[in-house]
Amino acid sequence: MSIAKVRNLRKEYESFLLDDVSFSLEAGRIAGFIGRNGAGKTTTIKSMLNLVHPDGGEIQYFGRPLSGNEAEIKQQIGYSTGTVSWYPRKKIREIVSVTKEFYDTWDDAAYRRYLDLFRLEENKTPRELSEGMKVKFNLLLALSHRAKILILDEPTSGLDPFSRDELLEVFEGLKKEGVAVFFSTHIISDIEKCADDIIYISGGKIRAAMPKERFREAFSLPGETLEETFLRLEREEAHG
Amino acid sequence: MGKILKKEMRLSASVLSYLFILFGFMFFLPGYPILCGPFFVTLGIFQSFQNARETGDIVFSALLPIAKKDVVKGKFAFVCFIEGCAFCLMAVVTLLRMTVFSNATVYRANALMTANPFALGMALLIFGLFNLIFVGGFFKTAYKFAKPFVIHIVVTFLVIIAVETSHHLPGLSALNAFGFDHMGLQLALLFAGAAAYILLTVIAVKKACRSFEKIDL
Repeated sequence: MSIAKVRNLRKEYESFLLDDVSFSLEAGRIAGFIGRNGAGKTTTIKSMLNLVHPDGGEIQYFGRPLSGNEAEIKQQIGYSTGTVSWYPRKKIREIVSVTKEFYDTWDDAAYRRYLDLFRLEENKTPRELSEGMKVKFNLLLALSHRAKILILDEPTSGLDPFSRDELLEVFEGLKKEGVAVFFSTHIISDIEKCADDIIYISGGKIRAAMPKERFREAFSLPGETLEETFLRLEREEAHG
Repeated sequence: MGKILKKEMRLSASVLSYLFILFGFMFFLPGYPILCGPFFVTLGIFQSFQNARETGDIVFSALLPIAKKDVVKGKFAFVCFIEGCAFCLMAVVTLLRMTVFSNATVYRANALMTANPFALGMALLIFGLFNLIFVGGFFKTAYKFAKPFVIHIVVTFLVIIAVETSHHLPGLSALNAFGFDHMGLQLALLFAGAAAYILLTVIAVKKACRSFEKIDL
């Protein structure tokens, strides 16, 4: 079942064009969104959350356009962005107690479970957290309200290998519950390990949006790892 | 709206916004331009906008399950709440000056404006202008606040100078009424100030919602 559809998304900046971006995200599947720095990953994600105002195209969730249904749709989206620290001097407990009131489906049991899993202390403030722990705090907010789709901007960057592994296991668990997980990354081993689908963006255009195995068949040379494939594709792109 | 106002008060607001409500007591001061009181209240509100920018509050709020325009409305709700508290304080002080202290020499001999319903109306006008110029201006970018605040300072001090000198002009001495003198005119001016506040704030909210919808965060 399609949870989210991005159709012909276009956003023009002075020195960058995100052009004709289209893909869809399915329930119970993990999609890795890969591309080098500046390829358009964050602009795409921000457009999907209505933080950036696209110049064209359409974004739909659950068969409804985001525009005009923002509040209801966002109830079902979990979002996390890397190491951004919200309200750095407020205690986690306070940020959570205010935030949870906005979600009809806030799940205190899930919140406690992830709080323990991520070893976060409620009495700490975001400014007291390491970069990796800030990522975990953002993930905690995204995971605690039974979202049907998780949109995660570089959730594994800054995490130690053990935490990354734990997080990828969390993704697997959510996938079994039917949650669609969409995460951007430039760590190809994360995609190798847990993604079902690959959405590959380069120079503001989607180069591939397909199941991982089909991606391998279509783009990888014999004996090539996924990482080697991406590096080769990027080099070919750079040399025209 | 209750949830977003609560978020403004607990996460986004600077403690100075609350403390600066006390500048409403400036309506007690003789020999001082009392309309500086409402200006200082707006200075306290400005601190919350600075705080909001530095703590990522605008983007955090835009990610909550609310419409983007509700982020703007939440900010206005907070601003109006602070202004409302300050106005109530100034109204109490004004009532005391109109009754208990109506014949106090220190107020009667005051060359500057006295605290009366006209002054309260002008305080509301200053708040309304702040909402339009500063808050409305901030939401053009949701980031830059220096320019709208400087414009607010200039406009507010022009208003203060004009209002403070108005009762010295021939035929306008009733503006500086003591006690319950010229109550019809005084109340009319208070209601005119309230109407200006509502009008300017409504225009500001609409303008800010439109601007905020268009910008990229």
